[in-house]
Amino acid sequence: MIRRVLVAGGLWVFALSVVVPLLWVLVTAFKTGAEIFTSPWGLPHTLQWENFARAWQEAGIARYFMNSLLVTLATLAILLPIGAMAAYIFARYPFRGAKWLFGAFLGGMMFPLFLTIVPLFFLLARLQMLDTLHGLTLVYVAYSLPFTVFVLTGFFQTLPQEMLEAALIDGCGHARAFWKVMLPLAKPGIIVVGVFNAIGLWNEYPLALVIMTSDERRTLPLGIANLLMVEQYQSDWGALFAGLVIVMLPVLFVYWLFRDRIHETMVAGALKG
Amino acid sequence: MTPRARAAFITGFLLPATTLYAVFVVMPVVQAFAFSLYRWRGISANRTFIGLENFRHLFADPIVWMALRHNLLLFVGTSTAILVVSLALAHAIGSDSRAARLLRSVYLFPQVISLVVVAILWMFILNPSFGILNAALKAVGLERWAIAWLGEKPTALASIGVAHVWHALGFYIMLFAAALRTIPPDVIEAATLDGAMGLTRLRYVTLPLLWAVLRIALVYMAIGTMNIFSLVFLMTQGGPDRATEVMLTYLYEQAFKHSEFGYATALAVVNFVLVMALSGAILALFRHNPQEGKA
Repeated sequence: MIRRVLVAGGLWVFALSVVVPLLWVLVTAFKTGAEIFTSPWGLPHTLQWENFARAWQEAGIARYFMNSLLVTLATLAILLPIGAMAAYIFARYPFRGAKWLFGAFLGGMMFPLFLTIVPLFFLLARLQMLDTLHGLTLVYVAYSLPFTVFVLTGFFQTLPQEMLEAALIDGCGHARAFWKVMLPLAKPGIIVVGVFNAIGLWNEYPLALVIMTSDERRTLPLGIANLLMVEQYQSDWGALFAGLVIVMLPVLFVYWLFRDRIHETMVAGALKG
Repeated sequence: MTPRARAAFITGFLLPATTLYAVFVVMPVVQAFAFSLYRWRGISANRTFIGLENFRHLFADPIVWMALRHNLLLFVGTSTAILVVSLALAHAIGSDSRAARLLRSVYLFPQVISLVVVAILWMFILNPSFGILNAALKAVGLERWAIAWLGEKPTALASIGVAHVWHALGFYIMLFAAALRTIPPDVIEAATLDGAMGLTRLRYVTLPLLWAVLRIALVYMAIGTMNIFSLVFLMTQGGPDRATEVMLTYLYEQAFKHSEFGYATALAVVNFVLVMALSGAILALFRHNPQEGKA
């Protein structure tokens, strides 16, 4: 009995250790600069919505937000179709060298990002893609492919073969059968992979740090990190906390909507890998 | 479909993904190994082949050894903390009660928010003038403990370790809970009825059942801490006085502050090889499940 209370207590202590810091950020985002210093644990006297307005406009979060949105959506728009196409071949059309190529894709999940960062930097410089949103997008697509192809291949393998055969008998070509029949069937898998990648891309920091240099093209993580440096001189901490809330909320919202599928995919991916 | 049409179909479908992957991932990986053999400063194409000179220089560089020691300290410290907490909670969190399901969702919050947010959040918690940690310490009369956690050499690395554990813990709890769920509940129940509780249950029930997952988890933890970058880079920039320097922050400094691109790439190669070696060592060390075959 005592043990049960202890374990349950442990669960709640940990839950609180997760929730309290996040709530603290949320509450602090509504405080005045003076309140932040005088009563770290206290509640704001009146809600300072202006913190959000200043973060959004003066601190430039609006621009960073649009950049992140653009890069994330563009990456998904390229990644999901081409990832699904490749995964479909690996799942359904065996050919000589398929295992080898699939292995090469999976190997990408093993290589740490920083092994490639210097050569990648020079490659982008040569392609005139340093500090461009389309350069960052293409890099994001390439580095998201291993996980995407891995999960979608597994997904296509579970789809019934009869559906494909029926489509082919109906006179569909193989490509048409993919776009019209198999891809729609794979929608649940595509959604999970899309959400997973979206969260990762929205949060991504080291690649953006190396590739992007000018302020007007910063993504949100870069922008908020830069704001941290700037505010050490201007000390508009209220706006910075508001900025943190703006970065976190979309991700936590999307995560909450898809949390069960995300848990499954995370655990399955980890246990297979 | 004729063999020819089939080949065209396969090629067409594989081409976009394979091209992007080859250009932006495979080629840079191959180049990394080549770059590490050159002395190469600045953006110019002016580079000199120097063989293994970068590596010789690297092994004689005291900062590399210091950074490596910090990585290993982080690995040992954070993986111990993660294992203790997640194993203690794995049985309870894996149950299907509503509370457990709600908690499982909450636990992954730190995992899905950006590491940039995690870093800034912890910088603020630990902030000496308005952080909640020191405010709480002062409130209970522990003023002497209210220090600049990230600014003092003895506590800076540990503080980063705490932030890393906060970020990573939920994932491992999920992982162990999921692995325990794949085991028929009557096995655990039978052991529990037999009086196996606490450390006995941990040793004879939980650990053996989780052994395979534990191995993989340890490898993940090793990879995670050997490749730690964002938290350190944002929270301390490797300071104070390099007290939190790790391999990747040093690599970043060499490449993008000093333009020592050849040397930085050699660091990347060494770090990669070390991670592989450490992972291999963990897999070999934990190959045999001590309880296997015993009943």
